Amino acid sequence: MLPFFADLVTRTDEARRDFETNPVVLDAVAHGMPIERYRKLLLELYHLVWHFNPVCAAAASRVPDGLRQVRYFLYEHMHEESAHEQWVMNDLEAVGVSPATVLAHQPSLNTLALNGYNYWAADRRDPCSVLGMMYTLEVIASVYGGTFAEAIRSSLLLQGERGVSFISSHATMDAEHMAELRQVLNTVTDEAAREAIVESTLVNFHLVTRVFEAV
Amino acid sequence: MTPDHDVRLSALMTRPYKYIRLEWNPEFSALRLRTCVKPIQCYSLSAMTELQRVLHDIAESPGLVKHFVMTSDVPGVFNFGGDLSLFVLLIRARDVESLRMYGRRCVDLVWWMENASKLGVHTTVLVQGDTLGGGLESVMPFHKVIFERSAQAGFPEVLFNLFPGMGAWNFTIRKAGYAIANEMILSGRLYTAEQLQRRQLVDVVVDDGDGEAAVYSVIQAVNPRLRGTLAALEARRHAAPVTYESLMAIVDQWTDTAMTLTDRDLRLMERLARAQARKAGGGAEGAVDEIKRMELDTAWGEERGTGITVWGGLGG
Repeated sequence: MLPFFADLVTRTDEARRDFETNPVVLDAVAHGMPIERYRKLLLELYHLVWHFNPVCAAAASRVPDGLRQVRYFLYEHMHEESAHEQWVMNDLEAVGVSPATVLAHQPSLNTLALNGYNYWAADRRDPCSVLGMMYTLEVIASVYGGTFAEAIRSSLLLQGERGVSFISSHATMDAEHMAELRQVLNTVTDEAAREAIVESTLVNFHLVTRVFEAV
Repeated sequence: MTPDHDVRLSALMTRPYKYIRLEWNPEFSALRLRTCVKPIQCYSLSAMTELQRVLHDIAESPGLVKHFVMTSDVPGVFNFGGDLSLFVLLIRARDVESLRMYGRRCVDLVWWMENASKLGVHTTVLVQGDTLGGGLESVMPFHKVIFERSAQAGFPEVLFNLFPGMGAWNFTIRKAGYAIANEMILSGRLYTAEQLQRRQLVDVVVDDGDGEAAVYSVIQAVNPRLRGTLAALEARRHAAPVTYESLMAIVDQWTDTAMTLTDRDLRLMERLARAQARKAGGGAEGAVDEIKRMELDTAWGEERGTGITVWGGLGG
């Protein structure tokens, strides 16, 4: 039987390819983006990162005792991701957006929908849905993050990690996370949980693509 | 055609396909398969599932399909080969099982083509645009390979420290010999249609726009002596065998090698993947231009005597 990770990759392959070949994403990864759009993207990203750990926490509190390994995986991940919204805040400051502006920013409808879905899925659908959110974000970071950071750095003439620290560091970190995520996904055997993870992956890819498109 | 064939043909033609389009020519019992894989014309998992389904249906209905023709519906591109961003994802996830599964599925497609004569099917492929890596590997087991003059092809895998693992060695050696297989696979170079014809890998080269007529000519010529042709092709397989075991051993080695790729290799693969996507998005330059730039970068590295390539502008 196909390991679940392979099944997930196969069943969500089209959504991943839709993200990577979206003209806006393609252009951003190849050529970077103007500063105004990069600021908008980071502002949206701030809200996604800010809600990442609470979504994981909501899921962790509902994961059944039989899936102890998923719960521990979430704990560890939350620990590692803790305060990363501050990295986004620092990057925003480096490109001229004050912390007050960041905190006052009203997220776009796509970002609200994405966060809303992830909370709802963890609460009502299946707590393992959160693994679909993590899979999506880690695919994006580990496969596309490095080149995107490089493109932004050269298009905006940024020095070193200044202004791209969040994206750049996650590109490296998430390669490691991806291997860990694969291992934990392969331990999920419950059919309903698997279906929820697939659904969550599809929704997350779809909405992240819309977030990119809209900035 | 028997009533059973009617039913099976109807089932084959009416299945919902997303990435392929089928046409039936009753005069020659010829099935034409046109590929249009979105968003990038490559062997994605979903596209391979559809292709496998069609080939399975043909094998399940002996005598129904006598000629199988494959072409691309994407202007300027026959096939970019493997799904490079999927490779990057699986390698980064250190998912050796899924990567092996992908490789083996590719080999199963190639193996079907290799066995087509045994199934009573003569195969023809028309290449009207770029075909790279796995795209070229998928072309080689066809009985008749037709290229339009502007089409280019090659095995660029060595540029990112990999090799083509789904039949390239076996079929290139069989058709063109060891020396040419070495030259093509180890150089990562691109070849024009005429260069490939000189190396015996392409049977017919026609001017751009004449490919369709060339396909028709092949079918017309083969059809009256189909049984004899297929028997001869089957005998050829005994004379110069390509075994499933050998193909599988190579794809397993390919998988193991892919898992050793470094971050730099993966970034080169990503660069090529982005170039494929740019072309899919209507860009003037695509993977072929990117490979040329990579070759140039490599040449610069060698000329400096460093043996190390300076990969400037990786993000571009």
